[in-house]
Amino acid sequence: MLKLCELSKSYGQVQALDALSLEIGEGQLHGFVGPNGAGKTTTMRILATLLKPTSGTAQVNGADVVRSPAEARKQIGWMPDFFGVYDSLKSWEYLDFYARCHRLGTKERKQMTDRLLALVHLEDKRDAYVDSLSRGMKQRLCLARALIHDPKLLLLDEPASGMDPRARADMKSILRTLREMGKTVLISSHILPELSEMCDSLTILDHGHLVFSGSVAELSDKMNGNAPLIIRLQEGCGGETVERAVACLKEMPFLQELLQEEPYCLKARLEGGEEETARMLRELIRQEIPVCDFHRAPMNLEKVFMEVTGDA
Amino acid sequence: MLNPILAFSATRRMRSFRTLLIAGAYTLVMLAAAVLTMFVLFREEVPMSQLSSGVRCYSILMVLQFFLLVLIAPAMTSGAVAGERERQTLDLLLVTETRAFRLITGKVAESLAVLALLLVCGFPAVCLTLLSGAVTLTQLLIGELFLLAIAFAAVSLGVLASTLCRSTVASGVVAYLLLILVAVITTVPLFFAFTDEMAAVVYDPAALARMSTGKALSMVFPTLLANPFLGLLFLLHGQTGILSSLMEYRDTGRLLCGFMLLNRVGGETVALICTACMTALGALLMPLSALILRKKTGC
Repeated sequence: MLKLCELSKSYGQVQALDALSLEIGEGQLHGFVGPNGAGKTTTMRILATLLKPTSGTAQVNGADVVRSPAEARKQIGWMPDFFGVYDSLKSWEYLDFYARCHRLGTKERKQMTDRLLALVHLEDKRDAYVDSLSRGMKQRLCLARALIHDPKLLLLDEPASGMDPRARADMKSILRTLREMGKTVLISSHILPELSEMCDSLTILDHGHLVFSGSVAELSDKMNGNAPLIIRLQEGCGGETVERAVACLKEMPFLQELLQEEPYCLKARLEGGEEETARMLRELIRQEIPVCDFHRAPMNLEKVFMEVTGDA
Repeated sequence: MLNPILAFSATRRMRSFRTLLIAGAYTLVMLAAAVLTMFVLFREEVPMSQLSSGVRCYSILMVLQFFLLVLIAPAMTSGAVAGERERQTLDLLLVTETRAFRLITGKVAESLAVLALLLVCGFPAVCLTLLSGAVTLTQLLIGELFLLAIAFAAVSLGVLASTLCRSTVASGVVAYLLLILVAVITTVPLFFAFTDEMAAVVYDPAALARMSTGKALSMVFPTLLANPFLGLLFLLHGQTGILSSLMEYRDTGRLLCGFMLLNRVGGETVALICTACMTALGALLMPLSALILRKKTGC
């Protein structure tokens, strides 16, 4: 459905997007995560045909966004990170206006407007003026606007920003419905846990570079491999034993970082995988250091995000 | 299918209190001006015939309408594109199947429709001059058509300014400057485009009378025909003869040369040519604005 190939965009000296390659299959809910300035909005705007890439290609259902923008626009529904609503228009008129802009016929317009107002749970606000709606309602109305021409791919830029928990839950339920309807959805956010709950796969960007692309489980596995080791010594084993443990660990050539968080608890970060971990444990036992607990620190998605984007 | 921009901008415009206020104020100003001028001009102590009072009253109302439209048009169109930008709705429109040209034509048509509504609002006031017999209904309608063409050009200039500028305020200022620029550029030849030799021919009553309309038209510097102020002046002169006494002056150098030639062409003919020029200007500015919008947005 969506194929990005070596997509780059620079604004003068600033490289907003650097050779981003990505493929998203039909019917997937794909999260696009990164800190502010990572290149998420730039990618979205290129896909929405509002920006031309410096190099590379982007195809939506086979339509190149630069060579055939009109064809691509038919496949794309774009919801930016701002409302973009008109005052003095009722909710149904707002949707009807964009339906007209997409050249939908009279009957089709009416059907789509009613259907979408129901989808975003705004049927009772059909005749309410747009400027009288709450933030969450406006956000949902904007989502309906993005869907008015029945696009195959939805580009949602920070769809839940500034929403209260109930409104977020509403938005998540609508997105799940969209997935069930077979829509491919690309959602950007700078909050990884928020996306991980509902997305099939994720892409993490940082400073225009692709840092990770895959499923949420793959990301967790990958990051857990790099999680620090927690080594707990027997309580009351004495300062001398702790010093021996520290000296033993410091002799390990693959040790990256060692912290003593509590009197009998050490936190070690290693360079390497399971082999190095096993070697470390063997060495501690060989030196008769009373290790009573040895495990990897659990990584939550917030920590993963900070780790991956280098802001830990 | 009706242009969606026209349909929905008109809906929004007609729902706003501002439009009601402008239309109400316009109607009141026109009616007040009509009643006041008629009251002053038709008083018995003023030594003037009913006909010339009617002529003056009609001229005053037409000039007033002209300036009101020229003043209102840029203010009305300043937010056409710049407002969409400020509201962040421009991008949302550009990702639909509504392209730049359709957007611009919709905006021009919508603003022009409101100005046409103002002309309709002012029409009853102008119609009062029919009572004096100074002008006919046909002449009055030609005058309204001329004003509509001026409104079209002013609106297109306003939309062009709105396309060029990022903010509504800047766009309004640029629109007024563009209007002044058009007026100045088309007026300057009145003072410099005619030689003393031409003036000598033009000021010779016999030679001027022998001169054909086509010949006179060929001698007129073309931009003068596109000058809205001269267009209005000669429309009124053609309909009521308000410049007759001016046309009797002789030996004033080159200054009145253009006036003499335009008079030879015929007041209403000049006004109709000016109407055509204004319409053409308005029509040409629309694709230009669309082109600029496409360049600026890349869509």
